[in-house]
Amino acid sequence: MPVAASAIYFLNLRGDVLINRLYRDDVGGNMVDAFRMHIMQTKELGTCPVRQIGGCSFFYMRISNVYLVIVVSSNANVACAFKFVVEAVALFKSYFGGQFDEDSIRNNFVLIYELLDGKNYGFGYPQNLSPEILKLYITQEGVRSPFSSKPTDKPVPNATLQVTGAVGWRREGLVYKKNEVFLDIVESVNLLMSSKGSVLRCDVTGKILMKCFLSGMPDLKLGLNDKVGLEKESQLKSRPAKSGKTIELDDVTFHQCVNLTRFNSEKTVSFVPPDGEFELMKYRITEGVNLPFRVLPTIKELGRTRMEVNVKVKSVFGAKMFALGVVVKVPVPKQTAKTSFQVTSGRAKYNAALNCIVWKIRKFPGQTESTMSAEVELISTMAEKKSSTKPPIQMEFQVPMFTASGLRVRFLKVWEKSGYNTVEWVRYITKAGSYEIRC
Amino acid sequence: MAPPPQFQRSSSPSPSQPSGKSEISDLKLQLRQLAGSRAPGADDAKRELFKKVISHMTVGVDVSSLFSEMVMCSATSDIVLKKMCYLYVGNYAKGNPDLALLTINFLQRDCRDEDPMIRGLALRSLCSLRVTNLVEYLVGPLGSGLKDPNAYVRTVAAMGVLKLYHISASACVDADFPSMLKRLMLNDPDSQVVANCLSSLQEIWSAEANTSEEAAREREALLSKPLVYHLLNRIKEFNEWAQCLILDLISNYIPSDNDEIFDIMNLLEDRLQHANGAVVLGTIKVFLHLTLSMADVHQQVYERIKAPLLTLMSSGSPEQSYAVLSHLHLLVMRAPVLFSSDYKHFYCQYSEPSYVKKLKLEMLTAIANESNTFEIVTELCEYAANVDVSIAREAIRAVGKIALQQFDVNAIVDRLLQFLEMEKDYVTAETLVLVKDLLRKYPQWSHDCIAVVGNISSKNVQEPKAKSALIWMLGEYSQDMPEAPYILENLVDNWDDEHSSEVRLHLLTAVMKCFFKRPPETQNALGAALAAGLADFRQDVHDRALFYYRLLQYDESTAERVVNPPKQAVSVFADTQSSELKDRIFDEFNSLSVIYQKPSYMFTGKEHRGLTDISEELGNLSVEAHPAAEALPAQIYEANDVDLLLSTSEKEEVRGPVNNSSAYRAPDYDSTTAALVSSQVPLEADLSIPGLPAYNPQVSSAIDDLLGLGLSVAPTPAPPPLALNPKAALDPGSFQRKWSQLAISSSQEFCIEPRAVVALATPQTLLRHMQGHHIQCIASGGQPPSFKFFFYAQRAGQPPSFFLVECLVNSSSARAQVKIKADDGAAAGDFSALFQAALSKFGE
Repeated sequence: MPVAASAIYFLNLRGDVLINRLYRDDVGGNMVDAFRMHIMQTKELGTCPVRQIGGCSFFYMRISNVYLVIVVSSNANVACAFKFVVEAVALFKSYFGGQFDEDSIRNNFVLIYELLDGKNYGFGYPQNLSPEILKLYITQEGVRSPFSSKPTDKPVPNATLQVTGAVGWRREGLVYKKNEVFLDIVESVNLLMSSKGSVLRCDVTGKILMKCFLSGMPDLKLGLNDKVGLEKESQLKSRPAKSGKTIELDDVTFHQCVNLTRFNSEKTVSFVPPDGEFELMKYRITEGVNLPFRVLPTIKELGRTRMEVNVKVKSVFGAKMFALGVVVKVPVPKQTAKTSFQVTSGRAKYNAALNCIVWKIRKFPGQTESTMSAEVELISTMAEKKSSTKPPIQMEFQVPMFTASGLRVRFLKVWEKSGYNTVEWVRYITKAGSYEIRC
Repeated sequence: MAPPPQFQRSSSPSPSQPSGKSEISDLKLQLRQLAGSRAPGADDAKRELFKKVISHMTVGVDVSSLFSEMVMCSATSDIVLKKMCYLYVGNYAKGNPDLALLTINFLQRDCRDEDPMIRGLALRSLCSLRVTNLVEYLVGPLGSGLKDPNAYVRTVAAMGVLKLYHISASACVDADFPSMLKRLMLNDPDSQVVANCLSSLQEIWSAEANTSEEAAREREALLSKPLVYHLLNRIKEFNEWAQCLILDLISNYIPSDNDEIFDIMNLLEDRLQHANGAVVLGTIKVFLHLTLSMADVHQQVYERIKAPLLTLMSSGSPEQSYAVLSHLHLLVMRAPVLFSSDYKHFYCQYSEPSYVKKLKLEMLTAIANESNTFEIVTELCEYAANVDVSIAREAIRAVGKIALQQFDVNAIVDRLLQFLEMEKDYVTAETLVLVKDLLRKYPQWSHDCIAVVGNISSKNVQEPKAKSALIWMLGEYSQDMPEAPYILENLVDNWDDEHSSEVRLHLLTAVMKCFFKRPPETQNALGAALAAGLADFRQDVHDRALFYYRLLQYDESTAERVVNPPKQAVSVFADTQSSELKDRIFDEFNSLSVIYQKPSYMFTGKEHRGLTDISEELGNLSVEAHPAAEALPAQIYEANDVDLLLSTSEKEEVRGPVNNSSAYRAPDYDSTTAALVSSQVPLEADLSIPGLPAYNPQVSSAIDDLLGLGLSVAPTPAPPPLALNPKAALDPGSFQRKWSQLAISSSQEFCIEPRAVVALATPQTLLRHMQGHHIQCIASGGQPPSFKFFFYAQRAGQPPSFFLVECLVNSSSARAQVKIKADDGAAAGDFSALFQAALSKFGE
């Protein structure tokens, strides 16, 4: 039995109920008290997202300032439950205009009930969460638009058919004046570097996000410079593979619209896209990752109360490109009293709450380097002989038009029976995932 | 729209309650005014009011007094209003069955509306009323809902049948809904209808199977080849959640031959690329279970699922990673080499939550082998130094575990010793415990370790576990540590500052050991220690001191042989989980069992309820202390709490003796007899509590001899040639069914051994004992002196037949009453003898 939720609760950080929905009588009427008493008010909070209290299991997740709690009494499918919560939150966000917090829930609770009840949770079983389809038949509107504006009283005549139909992700009869497709490749690069400068772990998780404004029922085909796809293509066309960089994808997952049978036989990504925004695919790469930044820290302890911190950051992507929003967080001991800096670019600041020096550079061109040298004075204490923990240096950045994996779109073809012309936009961006350098 | 007021729970009266009340009567008035109004804009005004009512309802204010007004206002064509009204009605109908009757009319009318949306919603609300005496109004609309031309209404109806079943099982079955669902499941063109039929049928038939043979057959039929193929061929039409449901069903399907297995796997292979992690995990479960019988393909499956699993782990929220990591951990236990080259994926990120880090550490420990140990241990040492305390501790333990797995021990011992030099209390404490375990396994390292351990001041070690470990080493290696007797003496001098009995016990043993190695230096300390021990108010400390004292009095060389015998290195530390348990968990892949690391029968609420049922039906002894149904909700929690406490303490009791890596057992290792004696004493003491007649083993066995009743006199009956299946499994539901179906084939009463009575002080030991004889316990309960146990066993070989046993034990009269029911009555006699033989050995 996948998930037969007995109840779902939304709580704020104090434990007040924002939303409650009981599906089954097999759990006590007030499980929320049990949750408050045994999880929220103890040190347990945050130590484990699955807890058993009495005969019931609680799955909980914190999203901004809200706890979402699912209570089950059976041996439920955990992965399914968490996935459901994540999807549900995405759904709520799409209704609330990107926000999901206590206020937006309070302002939209009727809508949430409608969503929780209607399609997507029948007697505790998840049903349908595709936002595009739900928007057809959910009558409430997000609070963004004034309520008095008359919501579509009667849903689109065949909305119920759509909700259950075979091409569940797209409705028929869409018309756009201008047919446009936007495709973003968004990569986040994770790095763990040892204090000696060797790469301990490094990988890229990427996703391809699309926004489609296309009329009718278009068929799309996407070609990437990945190894398997290129090889297959050259095989099919019996032509040697073009030299050039090919990327080996470790693992790929696709949106449900992608024809997986065709992907497995021909290695091409073909699909009928949903209308609007969606995530086409996700992939993971561990080999041949181009790190956009190198960080070289040197930390010297000068006696018991002084430290000297030098951090050099080098950008190693193309000279014509630049990174935005670069932030380097250099941890310093808790007992820091005074800091002074010198930076070649950007601004540095000591943040006592985070116990680190935050160095921000708004725009960082490629093939350049920048340094920060700081002097840190410590309060002399007796308690700790050696600095107890040394967190790693953490980095944030965004590099537009750069992919750490080297992945590129070779073609994006749109085919529709009416034969209209489309405009395709392709963008690349690489962000820092967890970019950590030990020092 | 106004945000809902800050909430006060209705259950707890509060100062703001009056104003809440006046607000409600205000609402009532406004609703009344609007009820008959046909003015334009009335609907908008109603909406605002309804919203207010529902916001009150959400935060827990009781607005059930508005019921009739709400119903009056609900005569509207506005779908938004209808939805809100349905929500309200669904929430309060259960508590107000009379008022709920008011709503039946308009709900039934809506069920015939021309708009399918309204038909569906009304039907759903009708089914959500959860009022038993309204069931008759439900059957008609549900029946027509199942035949509705619109798919949405049918999906609602299919779920509605399940709701009806939960309200009144008989009404649901009598109306023949299950077979209608079955027809619908096989023929409906809409995938969601099919999925809902499937989930309803699964639940209904699983519940019915306990009482009806036919339902049990129907449940089996859900796994029949035609149905499975029907679903498999259409699986792509289903939405992601329904796919999970189907995959779960298929994982229990048993294909007839290997071709079929490959067909299914080929069909499902692309599901591994699905964006929904739950679908991927479901597919993995199918693959793993299908290929269990084919070792080489099974191995290939592991290779195939590796990449998707790693992706799932690294993408998504920490909670999702946690769920996936738990599964990875289970898999890695079965195939450790699988991930050994991917160890870097399990390096922790600084900002990850600790529950993810902890599992990652366990993964690193599990996959360490010759090729990667160096890197893994280097990484673990990093955590020991540079992250928060709890993870640092885990990291150190992980290093120790890897060392005990015998990879690269040399380097690891060096690192552990470096930990000791870090001079952080918690690091030192954890490391000491590990060094002790390592020395028990690799005595050859003692020289290096002792040099470092000798430098540690016992003042810096406060945790009992660590202190015990240090004291153990001082006693064990006192000949190599020049300071040992003096450190021990110092510790004995501060006997009163030490509050843990664990440490005191260790201290006694260590001083004894030291005494035999270096008598003149230790003599003082020993005297002081024994004196302090004899004066100790803790029973076990006192007893051990007394034991040592008398041993010394009796004969010094015997004492030396008992306390300081030549030792063999421990080769394998006991595994905490049996392989049978692990297999059970694997069977329940992709569920909570994997997270909790125990099979579902050990934690699901249903099973708990199953136990109560048995006891209520059959016995006058109550297994659960409180009849939960009568207690107020608050008391239920308390009861639950008690329950929880009981179960954890039981667990510890079960685990304690098995897990001999715990520090407590360490010194007992060399003095088994001592431990036996000292642990028996408190048991006897327990037995002499008031209420139980003082019991003298000798006398009673003499009486037994005289009467010829004692089993101890008669030689234990030789086990008859009946072999039991060591892995017998029976869920409580089936147990209960069998128990009610079968007749008693053997009923006996006999005496039990005095030592068994002693051992019964902890009834769990009996369960464990019987398990050793392949007889499993399914429920137990009772207070001294009467206990009640339900056992079951399964005959090995064909045909498998079950034996069910009800065993009443009275510890004050030392009698056991056994009733046996058997699938195969002919074998009951043999089993009865076997059972008696097993019972007679209890306490040995």
